[in-house]
Formats: sequence, structure tokens, C-alpha cells
Amino acid sequence: MNPIAPIINGLSITLKHMFMKPVTLQYPSERPKVATRYRGLHGLKVSHSRAKCVACYLCPTVCPAKCITVEAGEDSSHNKIATRYEIDMLRCIFCGYCVEACPVDALKMTGEFELANYSREDFIYSKERLLEK
Amino acid sequence: MVNLIINDKPVTAPKDSTIYDAAKINGIKIPILCHDKKLKPFGACRMCLVEVEQMKGRQIPACTTPITEGMIIQTATPDIIKARKLVLELLLLNHPLDCPVCDKGGDCDLQNLTYEYQVNSNRFVDSKFQHKIDYNNPLIERDMNRCVLCGKCVRICDQIVGYGALTFIDRGIETKIGCEFEDGLNCEFCGSCVSVCPVGSLLARPFKNKARFWALTKHSSVCGYCGTGCNLTLGVKDNKVLTTIYDENQGFHKGQLCARGRFGYQFINSEKRLMTPLVRKNGNLVEATWEEALEIVTARLRGGTSVAALATARLTNEELSLFKKLMIENVGSKNIDHSGGYAHSALTEGFTRSFGTTAAPSTILDIQKSDYLLVVKTDAYETHPVIGFEINLAVKNNGVKLTILSDKRGKLSKLPDARTAVHVPGSEVAVLNAICKSILDQKLISATAASIPGFAQLESALAAYTPEAVASQSGLTAAEINQIAIDYASAAKALILFPTGLAYAGHNAELASAVANLALLTGKVGSEGCGVLCMNEKNNSQGAVDMGFYAQEDGLNALKILDACTSGAVKTLFIAGENPLASYPNSAKVKSALDAVECLIVSDLFLTETAARADVVLPACSYAEKEGTFTSTDRRVQYIKPAIKKIGKSRTDFEIFSSLIVALGGAAPASPAAEFAAISAVTPGYAGMTHTGLGVEGCFAPVEVKPAFVVPQSAATPVEAGKLALVTGSVLYHNGTLSQHGEGPMFVCPDAYIEMSRADARNKTIIEDDLVTVSSPSGTLQLKAKITPRMPEGVVFIPYHFPAAPVNKVWSGSAVTMVTVAK
Repeated sequence: MNPIAPIINGLSITLKHMFMKPVTLQYPSERPKVATRYRGLHGLKVSHSRAKCVACYLCPTVCPAKCITVEAGEDSSHNKIATRYEIDMLRCIFCGYCVEACPVDALKMTGEFELANYSREDFIYSKERLLEK
Repeated sequence: MVNLIINDKPVTAPKDSTIYDAAKINGIKIPILCHDKKLKPFGACRMCLVEVEQMKGRQIPACTTPITEGMIIQTATPDIIKARKLVLELLLLNHPLDCPVCDKGGDCDLQNLTYEYQVNSNRFVDSKFQHKIDYNNPLIERDMNRCVLCGKCVRICDQIVGYGALTFIDRGIETKIGCEFEDGLNCEFCGSCVSVCPVGSLLARPFKNKARFWALTKHSSVCGYCGTGCNLTLGVKDNKVLTTIYDENQGFHKGQLCARGRFGYQFINSEKRLMTPLVRKNGNLVEATWEEALEIVTARLRGGTSVAALATARLTNEELSLFKKLMIENVGSKNIDHSGGYAHSALTEGFTRSFGTTAAPSTILDIQKSDYLLVVKTDAYETHPVIGFEINLAVKNNGVKLTILSDKRGKLSKLPDARTAVHVPGSEVAVLNAICKSILDQKLISATAASIPGFAQLESALAAYTPEAVASQSGLTAAEINQIAIDYASAAKALILFPTGLAYAGHNAELASAVANLALLTGKVGSEGCGVLCMNEKNNSQGAVDMGFYAQEDGLNALKILDACTSGAVKTLFIAGENPLASYPNSAKVKSALDAVECLIVSDLFLTETAARADVVLPACSYAEKEGTFTSTDRRVQYIKPAIKKIGKSRTDFEIFSSLIVALGGAAPASPAAEFAAISAVTPGYAGMTHTGLGVEGCFAPVEVKPAFVVPQSAATPVEAGKLALVTGSVLYHNGTLSQHGEGPMFVCPDAYIEMSRADARNKTIIEDDLVTVSSPSGTLQLKAKITPRMPEGVVFIPYHFPAAPVNKVWSGSAVTMVTVAK
């Protein structure tokens, strides 16, 4: 085979790409488009200015990584609420079972994927941090 | 036995079974919501429908239909399943589907059946109920919106507890379970209704929202309060005992518990528990290491007979046995005792001389098999509520006759046909002697009685106790005494019950001998349903006696130990779990003894009033953290194993005593099991028992009776003009001083009070909740007044459990104390 042909072939591909839209995303100045069903950071849904979560304990029960800690309590009108709701993101495997198990549609997984942090404590997301803004 | 065919399988069942029972014992499950083993069949839920071929395939409820020979039953035909689905649909029509917030989720019979029968949709439409939820008390929440009207709560409250707090209100679709005047629940709060509720209508508030049922690990154990020895299941999560779980298959009581058993577990994980050893330095108790603390204790224990020990009867048999070994073999002192040195005297002195044994010759199981019950003091219900439930059942279901000999009326007096003979406080021995005399006079004695040693002496000694003579001093009539004599002697089977305890100084050896005489005269000992049952106060009171943990030979008893502390003869006092300052009579005397003793060592769960005065405090473990055996009041030996890990740096008393034995140069047993082997080798009745052999049911240690008649000395009943007779005792759902660390008992009765009759209150112009001053020669005390119709005129009652209002300031250990009460 002619030894020149593959080189020309290759260079033509390179040349073609020089005029195409670049594949590389210039992160962080450019942001990726996150799929609607992407499983990122959890969010506690809010309805009527309070968390929808009723602390039924189904998410910690179904969680295969045992990363959810719930403590239930009552508010002043005896409604069951989560007095503590924590997810340890270092343990979470983002399987989404918690969202699936939720009987009151109180939990979702957002497109938030930038979860890096400097200390281990910062990976434990409390209820305040998880509440949707 | 009856032969029948269930689901094409030939089976047999006892003659008195229902179809449901017959299926259950043959391993065939029939779904049901309204049935409990303890309750009478009711037939409310219609879930247990079955088809019987002889009844032309009609669907009939299995729980109320008795079986007959040759019955052919089908329990799960497509028609039946369709019918059950319909029942569930109708139940779910008004039932709110709030399983995520309902605390019963996971343990709910209705939820489980809905899942099992796949009732995913409902063909009917109706609105849900909007009943107000009852949050009026901190123990039981009542949400009638979730109710399926099975009626179990109503029936258990009526049939077993005998309170009747709940009932059906209104009719038809409006039917609901309600309390009197549709008000909030205001009862004894035993929680029996909560335990049987198949749905989330009745919830235990101390456990509400703490955890889901499936997240709990279940550990069966034995209740650590009174001597009944109830079995219970502890629900544990994250090393915390969060609740007690109902199991109808547990124990003689079929899972039935009282408020302290069910709601009083919080002391186990209390924040007030001692976490580290404490040592007194410069007058203050400071945290120390175990090595440091044990070194001080070891040095102090090398004092021979100047060392004394008091233990609580809540320790296990193994611990008590080891403590005794430590004191006698390694320390060289026989000064050991428990329960004030007098609360066990009915067994150690009374039964020893009358029955030749230190245990009661009857069991709790005899109550329901008897024909006639004679209860000394109505307090039997307060001290041992589950035995009280057994008495209720015996009277209501089996028609057992009940007579109560008491210084006040009480809940037992309200049972159907119960006779209460209210006598002057302190005259019970005289009355019992008069009953014996009446039996002798009316020639009602058994044929064998005359051959029992001591008969002649008894007969002559009883001459002074004619019913007429006793009637005048006891406040009863001679006819009443004679009637009790006739009833007791003529019953085919009769059982006498009396409670003992620190607050029942009058229930001593004399009373024990007096009731023993009565039983022996009429030959009512040694057969089923007969005998005498001494109801011991604490969970291992009987065990402490069986282990011989009381003053014997030349050893000092508890009260003498305290005297010796004051005089300086005892220089080191080791108290394991007792709180004499709060529970022993005459607090001033106890206080001076504890102040005088050179070194006070206390091992306890909490920094009690006594522990706060100690030089060394050792943190001990509760029953949920240790392995060992407890012996119940009817001598059932039961095995417990740890349900949780030890709290903080606490150690079990077994470990503490073991390390002290080693430090003093002795050899300690390897484990509680090894110690129990040593116990079973030497303790009468325990032969052949092992930890593994005890199983879940436990084993009865047999009691051998060598009868003898003893002349009981009746005490003179004190009478002083203008003064009232103070009787001490237990209040419902408290037990010792431990129950003040339980939420349930503290809600039902948070504080001490003085209970008096309406007549006395009127005379002294005292009204309910008035603060009154009680004074006796030993001191004064301020208490809230409680005016009840059950107290006879001239008698006041104060419960003893509360260190905050210590009755032992005015009570110095006599059965009856004359006090003045003023506003």
C-alpha cells in the first residue's frame, strides 16, 4: 500500500474537524447541558412554603448505601415532619431509589453535579442544604 | 380432640376450639383483625370468613364458630378471597390512607392484609372521618379516623384491665370508640389498648416518630420492675431501647403488661445514667478511671467484719451469688442484706418456720385455677398489676369468689361480687387469727391439720382471738369474720395472696405465718389452685432470698448494719443498687449512718441520693445490658441476655464483683453461665437448671413444704386521739425508686401525695390539692392532699417511691404510724 495515503487521510480528517464545532467543553466557563433525568444532588421539594417530606423513613429503608439519616418529629399542629434529614454524599451512589420510594413525591434529584468539597463534614448535606431554593 | 378437615387436610383440635383456633394450631393462617388470644371471640371484622361444607357452603366467621366432629372447612376458595377483598375495600373506604405518617406503618394488620390481598383500588366512594384526635395525655394518642372498629381496645380494657375507659359510641356508620362524655382518655394508662390495636388508632406516644417498626431489632427479655416476672420484647435501634413490643405468645400473661413495663423503659437509655466511675476528692465527686476506683474499693474491702454490703433485689441471681461470695469468702464478713432487712422476712422467717422453705408454695398460674381468692390488702393490684389482671380474669371469666382483707378499699374491691372487709390498719394478723379461730370453732379444719406439728399450741394460743374479741379492735363484725372463715374453708380450692415490699412493714413473718396457718388448717396447700402466694416487690426478690443474700447466722441485717455504721462498728459500706436514703424507713437515721460510715461505695445506674453521698461511685448496668437469671415471685427462673451494649463506661455488677474477687486474691467465675452452674448445684429447687435449658419460658423451681403451725404475734393497733393512722405503700405503676426514671409511671403519678377520706378532709377543712403538713415523732413533710372515697375515716395513705417527697421523713418503719395532718 502507498505509505503516503494514510497520512493524507488522517490530515484530511484533522482539517475537517478544524472547521467543525468543537467537542470539548470549556468547563467551567462553559456549562454542560444536563439531561432532565440526570441523577445529581438530591433536593427536598417544598410545597406551601414547607418541606413536603413527612419523615416516613422509606428512603433510609430502601437506600442501598445507608447514607440517609432521618429523624421524625411533630410540628405544633401534630403534623409529622423530619426534624433531621441528612444525606452523606460520600456514601451515596446516586441510584435514585430514594426518589422512587418516596410516597409523597417529596424528594427529587437535581442536575447539580459539582459536589466537590474540602472536608468530609461538608459532604453531609443537612435538611437546610437539601431544601429546594 | 375433634377430627375435622381443613383445606382437604385431616386435622385434630381440642373440643373447645373455634375454627380459627383449630386452623391456627394446625399451621393454617386465617386473616383476622379483631381477634386476640386473651380476649373472648367477638366477630367484628368479617375477615376470617370460611366455608363449611355442612353449612351448605355459607360463609361463616371462623373466630366465633366452634368446631364439630367431621367439619369440612375451606379457608381460601376464590369466593372467600373475593369476600375478604370486599371487606378490605369497605374498611379502606373510611380509613385514611396516611400510612407514610402513621406510626403503625410496617406493623399494621390492615396494611399487611391490603398488601396480601392486593386491594389496589376501591369500587366505592365515601368521605373520610374528621374526628378530633385525642392528644390529651403524653402516653396514648387516639385517632379515631383510622379505627376499624374491631373492639379489641374496648374488650381488653373491660375484660382484662377491668377499667372500662373505652366503649363504642353512636351507631351505624357514625360508630366510633370513645371515652366518657366524648372526652379525652383519662385512665390508668396501662397501654393494653395500644398493644392490641390492629391499626394506628391507638399509638404509644413515647415511641411515636422514634423509628419504624422494621428498623427495630427485637430482644425478648424479662421486665425489671416487680416480682411478677413478665416477659417482654424490647425494640432496639442504634443501641437504644426505644419501645416494648407486644407479643401475644409471650409468657403466662400472654404479652399483657402494665404501664411501667410498657412505658417505663426510659431509664435504660436515660441521659442521667452514670457513665464513668466517680471518686470523692476534696469533698467532690470527680470522674475517675475504673482502675483507680477499684483500687480504692479493694483497699477498703480488706476490713473483715467492719465491711458490710446492701444489695438491691434487682440484681441477677448470678450477681447476688457472686456478691455474697465476695463478701463471705474474700472479705470475710457476713453483714449482707437486701430490701431493708424486713421486706423479705415473710419468706426468710415466716415461710421458713411455717412451710420449712423460703418460697411461696403456689404459682401465679394457680390464680385462675382457684375457686376462692383471699387478698390481703387491695394494694396487691398496685404492687403487681399483671397479677391484678389475673385476678380480674379469674373473677370475671371463671367466677372465682374474691374477698379482700384490707385497710382501705381499692380497684380490686370493684370487681363483681368482691367482698372487702375494711379493718383498722395494722390489725390484719389479729383478723387472720380470728378467721383461724372461727374455722376451728366451726370444725371446718381438714382431717390432716391436727397431725401437723404445733397444732395444740396454735389451738390454745388462738383462744384469745375469738371473732367477737377481734371484731371490736379490728373494726369488723364477728359475722364478717365468720363469713370469711366459712367461705374460705368451704371452697374446694382457695388461694391467699399478699404483697410484700419496703413500704409494707406489716407484711412480715407474723402475717406470713398467720396466712400459712389458715391454709394449713384447711388443707389448702400443695394442690392446684390452692396455697399462699407472697408477692415480692422487686423483679428478683425471690432470687435474692434463694441466693441467701440476707443476714444469716451472726451477720448483721440491713437495719443493724445502718446502726453499726452510726456506731462506727462498720467502717465500709458497699451498696449495690439500693437507695436506702429514699426507700428505707426513717431517713434521718439512714442519713446519719451514711454520714458516719468511713467509706461508702455505691454501684448504681444513677447518681441517687445515696450515691451522691458516696466516696466511690461505680456505674452499673441495667437489666437490658446484662446476662443472667431472675427468679419471679412464684419461683420461675428466667434467663435474660443483653439487648444493648453497655452504656458509657458502665460495667455489669457481675464484672465489678468478679474483678474485686480477683483483686482480693480469689478466683472469679468465667461467665454468668459458670456462676449459674454453681448456683444450681447448691440451691434447693434449682438442680439441673442451665442458662440454655431455661429457654424462653423459664423453669419453675419446685417448692417442698414441711408444714408446721406457728403462733403469730399480732401487733397492738395504735390509737391516739386526734391523730390519723398513716399507712405507706406502692402507688399504681411505680415500683421501688427506679420507676421515677420511666416516662409512663411519672406521668400516671408524678409526685407523692397524701390520700385521705372525705370525712377527715371535711373535719380538717382540707380540699383537693391543698398543701398539708404531715407530722410524726420522726419528722414533718409537706404533701398535696388527695381526697378519695376509698379511704376509711381516720386512715391516710402516702406512697413511698419519691425521693423528692420522702415519706420516710415521717415514717420510721412501723406498719402504722400515727400522724397529725394540718393545713
